[in-house]
Amino acid sequence: MAVLRPKSTVPTKRNKPAGIKENRLFNTLNVLFMIVFTTIIIFPIWDVIVGSFSSSASVATPGIRLWPEQFSLDAYRVVFNDPSIWNAFLISVLKTVIGVTTSVFFTAMVAYAMSKQDLIGRKIFIALGVGTMFFSGGMIPIYLLMRSLGLLDNFLVYIIPALFSFYNMLILMNFFREIPTSLEESARIDGAGVWRIFLQIILPLSTPVLAVIALFNGVYQWNDFMTARLYITNEALYPIQMKLYEIIVQQQAANMQNVVGSVIIPTSSQTIQLATIVVATVPIVLVYPFLQRFLISGMMIGAVKE
Amino acid sequence: MRKNVMGFMSIVGFVMISGCSSSGAEVSIDDLEEARYEIDPNTPAWQVDDEENVELTWYVNAEWFDRAYGEDVITKKLKEDLNLDITFITGDDSNLNTLFSGGDLPDLITIFDGQSQAALRAPTWALPLRELADHYDPYFHQVAQEQTLDWYQLEDGYTYGYPSYSNTIDDYQADIIPGSDAFIIREDIYEALGEPDLSTPEQFITSLQQMKEAFPDVVPFAFRGFGSDGDVGSIGDTFQNHLGVPIADENGDWYNRNLDDSYLDWIRTFNEAYQLGLISDDNFSDDNTVFEEKVERGQYGSVFASGIAQLSGSLQTNVARDPDQRYIAVDGPKNPNGNEPTLNQAGLSGWTVTYITNKVSDPQKAIQLFTYLLSDEGQYLTTFGVEGETFEFNENGKAVLHEEVLQMRNDNPEEYKKSYRLGEFWFFGHDGFALEHGENEASIAVDQIQKWTKGKLKPQFLIENINPDQGTAEARSLVNINSTWATTLASMIRAKDDAEFDRLLGEYETFLETNNFAAVEAIRNEKMNENRERLGL
Repeated sequence: MAVLRPKSTVPTKRNKPAGIKENRLFNTLNVLFMIVFTTIIIFPIWDVIVGSFSSSASVATPGIRLWPEQFSLDAYRVVFNDPSIWNAFLISVLKTVIGVTTSVFFTAMVAYAMSKQDLIGRKIFIALGVGTMFFSGGMIPIYLLMRSLGLLDNFLVYIIPALFSFYNMLILMNFFREIPTSLEESARIDGAGVWRIFLQIILPLSTPVLAVIALFNGVYQWNDFMTARLYITNEALYPIQMKLYEIIVQQQAANMQNVVGSVIIPTSSQTIQLATIVVATVPIVLVYPFLQRFLISGMMIGAVKE
Repeated sequence: MRKNVMGFMSIVGFVMISGCSSSGAEVSIDDLEEARYEIDPNTPAWQVDDEENVELTWYVNAEWFDRAYGEDVITKKLKEDLNLDITFITGDDSNLNTLFSGGDLPDLITIFDGQSQAALRAPTWALPLRELADHYDPYFHQVAQEQTLDWYQLEDGYTYGYPSYSNTIDDYQADIIPGSDAFIIREDIYEALGEPDLSTPEQFITSLQQMKEAFPDVVPFAFRGFGSDGDVGSIGDTFQNHLGVPIADENGDWYNRNLDDSYLDWIRTFNEAYQLGLISDDNFSDDNTVFEEKVERGQYGSVFASGIAQLSGSLQTNVARDPDQRYIAVDGPKNPNGNEPTLNQAGLSGWTVTYITNKVSDPQKAIQLFTYLLSDEGQYLTTFGVEGETFEFNENGKAVLHEEVLQMRNDNPEEYKKSYRLGEFWFFGHDGFALEHGENEASIAVDQIQKWTKGKLKPQFLIENINPDQGTAEARSLVNINSTWATTLASMIRAKDDAEFDRLLGEYETFLETNNFAAVEAIRNEKMNENRERLGL
C-alpha cells in the first residue's frame, strides 16, 4: 500500500542557494531603494539648513546646494537679534510642557470615565462630542467665547481651550476598554479607590497611547501660532512661532512701504525664512527620540494578538 | 438618539444667544463733552492741552508694521509733544474681522482699502472728523486737505477716515509728485547698442534682438510679473498709461482700455518678442521677490517697471553692485496714434486710511494727533526727523539730513530703522513733501528715473473707486473677468502664432458678454458720474 507522504519541506541542495540568492537580491535592492528614498527626503531638509547659513545672493541663484557657497550667519543674526525671542522661547516651552501634561491628563481622565458603560449620560456626552467634532462655531464665535471667558491676552488661552480634544479622547477611551476589567476588580477588592486605580494602574499600563497623544499635543502646541495671532496682543506672551512669523513679515516691510529710500536689509526674506524654519524645528526634532522609545513599545503591544 | 440630538441643539441655541454680550461705551458726536482747554482756530490744540500721559491703542491692519513706540527719533518726539503713549496692535483681515465682531474696538484703526465694507460702514464704528475737529481742534481744517476730506465723504455727508499719500488736483498741478512707472534699460547695454530708438514695434524687436546677441546673459525684456486675483503686473494699466491710452471715450463713458487697438498692437509685439526668445517664461511665474532680486543683479536688459518707490531698494543694490549697470529710464514704446504718456500716481484715495473709532478713550487727543501729523511740524518730523538731531535747514530753507544719518541708512539699516525710522511712520505721509522741502541728493539709482517721469503725470481721479461694491453679483463677475483677463493676457503674450492670439482675444470678448460685463460697465459709468460731481467737473 502506498503511503501518502507529504512532500519533503527540507530544502534540497538545489533550491537552498536559490532562496538565499533571492534574499540577497531583495536585500540589496531594498538597501538601494532605501538609500535613494531617504536621500530624497533628506535632501530638501539639508537644502533648507544650508540655505539658512548662506548669503542671500547665493540663495537667490536657483538649484540645490550641498554646501553654502558664501557662508553667512546674517539670517540667524536677524532672528536672534531681537532680545524678546528668548522670552518667546520660554513661553513656547511653558505652553508646550504645561499644555501637554494638563491636556493628556485631563483627556485621559475623561476617557477613563467614558470607557465605563455604566456612566450616567454617556450617550449624550458622546453625541455632544461628535457634534462639536464635525461642526465648529467658526473663528468669530470662538473669539467672542474667548473674550467672554476673559482669555484674551492671557496665558491660559494656550492651555484651557487645548485641554480637551474629543478625538484624542476616543483614542484613549478605546485603549482603556482593552485593559481587562478583572485587573480593576482585583484592585478594588484590595481596597483601591477610583483615583488610585486610574493613577496607579490604568495610566502606567497606557504609556504607549499616552505617548502618542502627548506627541500629537506637543507638536500642536509647539507649532501653533494662530492662537497667539487671534487672541494675544501683548508681545510678552508671544510664543516662538508667532515671534518668528513676525520677524518674517517685518522683513517684508521695506517692500510694502510706499516710500523712496526706505531701508534695505542685506538679508533677503528667503534666508530668514530658512533660518526660522531651522530655529522652529530643531527643538521638536530633539524631543522626538526621547518619545520614540514609548512609541515603539506601543506598536509591539499592538502587534501581539491574543 | 433623536432626543439626544434635540438636547444638543437646544444647548447650542442657548450658548449662541447668551454668548453675544454687549460691548463698551460708545462715543457719539452729539454728546461729546466740553474740551478741557480753550479752543482756538489758529492754534493747534496739542499746544494748549496740558493733559498728561494719555494712552491710545492704534490698530494697524498690516502685520509687517513695526510696533515699537517711543524709542526712535520720530515717536520719541511725538510722545513728548503730545504727552501721548500709543500701543500699536497689528494684524490682518481676520484680526480686523474679530475686532469688529467682538465690538471692543481700539482707539484708532488704520486699514488699507478705503472702499472695503469696513470703510463703507464707518458711520457705525467711527467718528466724523470734521465735526470732531470743530469740537476739539479747529486747527485741523487748516492742515487737512479739503479735497481729500470731500473725496472720503460718505453718503451721510460725513467724512470718517483720512488717507496717507492722498494727492490732490493741486499736487498734480504743482508738479511735485514723482511718477512711479517707467521703461528702464541697463545703461551699459543702451550705450553699447548705440542708444537705439525703441518707439515702434519694429525698432523695439530689432534692438532687443541685437541685445540678445551682444549680451547673451541677460533677459532682453521683462515686466513686473503677474500676481493673484487678476493682477497683471506692470503690463496692464501701467503700460496703458505709458502709451497714453485714454481713460474715457469721447462721450465721457468708461473705456475698456484692455481692448484698445494701440495697446493690443504692442501686446502683439511682445508676443513676437516672446516667440523670438526675448521674453523669458520665468517672467510669468516669478513672484515679486524674485523679480526684484533679478533687478538687483542686473539680469534684465530692459524692464517695464512699475512701483519705482518699492523697487528703489533693488535699484540701489544694483547700482552698488556695478554703477555701470545702472538702470535708466528712456522713452521706450510709443503709441502709434501719437498719444503722450499719461502716467498715474496715487490719487485722492491715497494708500492707507486712518479712523478714530467711536470707542475712543480720549477723542480730544485723537484728533490732536491727526492735526499734529498733518501739520508741517508732523510732516517734517516723519520725513526728516528732528532739527539739529537728524537734519538742518540750509540757506535755501530746505531740510538736509545729517551725513551720519545717511551713512547709517546704507551701512547699518537695522540700526537706522531702530533709531530713526524716517519715512516709516507714514500714516499721514505725502509724496511731494520730501521733494518740496528737502534737498538731499537723490539716490543715483532712482533720481534719473523720477526726473524722466516729470511732467508726464495726469490724475485719474475720474476712474478711482469705480468698481462694483464688494459682495454684489457684479463684483463677483468682475473678479472672474479680471482673472480671465490675466490668463488671457499671459496666453496672448505666449501665443504660438497670430491665429492663436486672435482666438484668445475673441474668447475673452465672448467671456465678457456671457459674464454680465455690461452690468459692471453700467456701475462704472454711474460711479464715474458721481466722481465728476465730487470733483466739480
